[in-house]
Amino acid sequence: MRATPRILLVDDEEAITSNLSQLLQRAGFEVMVAGDGRQGLALVETSTPDLVVLDILMPHLNGREMLRTLRQRGDWVPVILLTQVGDSSERTMALGEGADDYLNKPFDPHELIARIQAVLRRVRPGLPPLSAARRIGDDRLVLDRTSRRVWLDAQDVPLTPKAVAILEYLMTHADELISRERLLNTVWGWDYPVGGRVIDTRIAELRKALKDDASAPRYIETIPGQGYRYVGDVRPIT
Amino acid sequence: MRTALWVLLAALVVVLGLSLTTGGEQTVDVTLRFNRDLILVLGSVALALAGVGSVAAWRAVRRRTHTAPDDVPPIVAHHRFLRRLDHELKNPLTAILVAVSNIRETCTPAEQQVLTSIETQTVRLSRLVRDLRKLAEIETLPLEEAVFDIRDLLTEAAALVQDADHGHRLTLRLPSAPDALRVRGDRDLLLVALHNLVDNALKFSGDEDGIELRAFREGRCVVTQVIDTGRGIPLADQPLVWEELYRGQNTDGVPGSGIGLSLAQLIVKRMHGEIALESAPGEGTTVTVRLPEAAPAAT
Repeated sequence: MRATPRILLVDDEEAITSNLSQLLQRAGFEVMVAGDGRQGLALVETSTPDLVVLDILMPHLNGREMLRTLRQRGDWVPVILLTQVGDSSERTMALGEGADDYLNKPFDPHELIARIQAVLRRVRPGLPPLSAARRIGDDRLVLDRTSRRVWLDAQDVPLTPKAVAILEYLMTHADELISRERLLNTVWGWDYPVGGRVIDTRIAELRKALKDDASAPRYIETIPGQGYRYVGDVRPIT
Repeated sequence: MRTALWVLLAALVVVLGLSLTTGGEQTVDVTLRFNRDLILVLGSVALALAGVGSVAAWRAVRRRTHTAPDDVPPIVAHHRFLRRLDHELKNPLTAILVAVSNIRETCTPAEQQVLTSIETQTVRLSRLVRDLRKLAEIETLPLEEAVFDIRDLLTEAAALVQDADHGHRLTLRLPSAPDALRVRGDRDLLLVALHNLVDNALKFSGDEDGIELRAFREGRCVVTQVIDTGRGIPLADQPLVWEELYRGQNTDGVPGSGIGLSLAQLIVKRMHGEIALESAPGEGTTVTVRLPEAAPAAT
């Protein structure tokens, strides 16, 4: 990766690209802009960005199609998708089709910068992101992202679908502090005031099922007043 | 069609932007030599928002005129409109938030205050639009169904508002075990609905008022009631409080967006239940939720 990471911004809204370009440049990135997926693909080839910020709805070639084309070509340039609020099918698609992260519009500009930095930190150049691997985990804990099943020491772990979704998000963002609000938006698609409680209940379910001790966590660490962090090892399992 | 709409929107923005340029000059005189471009940008964006909203509304009307009235139930058309509104507003709102962030570094402390106000209102607008969209989504959201005891959920809802329960006499009146009151549904969503009801009871009650949460069996239903002795709802408002964004006549000084009861109603309906409200101004309000009783979960 370059000393000044190069970001490709793909969005058909000039009001978005012009303002975001300034923001990202001030944050220390080099920025290129494409107005649709077709231009975006061309720029990925010619300019080899370090990361792509990709809107979904665009003319000619939309964000989904551009992402799919990239991955089919074996191009694993990190991608952050800008999705629609609350659309659960888009959220599932985003990770399923090989995006490294996604963010709902409208977003806090500083949150976008934080996400870009986090993705750049965990990227393994030239290799698929964890979110593109079917099975991830370590020697003891394995999550199959397609069948939505989890094993601990080769034993099936029964979990609710929401608990699996939380575990998946935490594992694919290992070492990153994830707020309750972000988990809610990601897994539930809403963040009502009761949300913190709902998340805590599912984390308790996960810890019990994974035999994880909150005071000496092997997998999920609580960051008081802020959220959770996955502290276990995570790698693609073949 | 889409092009024509954007042309219309652009024209609106230009007209408003020009008119606000004049407004910007006045602001420069009166306040802080505030950046004229910023005023123009924000004015334009404000008009853009209004314009986009109008376009979305216009589209909805156009669509209705091309659709046989019986084809699309009004509620479905309404929710489609909410989704479109959200979609059309997300880009302008994102652009404002990023623009404000960009301008911040070059502003004086006094101008920072103005920017903070703009940012706060933009975030508020974003939240409102997002909440409206959520209402539309509740209709189709995949439910994570489980069988659970409503008493646990009421206890949880009461615990959630404990911090806001300044001196209220919030009491739980629940039949004791082993008389389980099982319902089937999405536990998280039902907690959102019950929390909204309890939160409303707290907001519209004084410190001396009592609030009671009850649950009991009635025939094949599990009934939950949130009863308060607060200010009550004027009779004229009672049929309207279920509508999105409706705020009653006596809600001054009480924070809220008018979404809570609509949301609770949608959630209860998705769980095949009914929700009703009785209220006497000055005496209090009772909200009753009836859900089908569920058989014990298979073990």
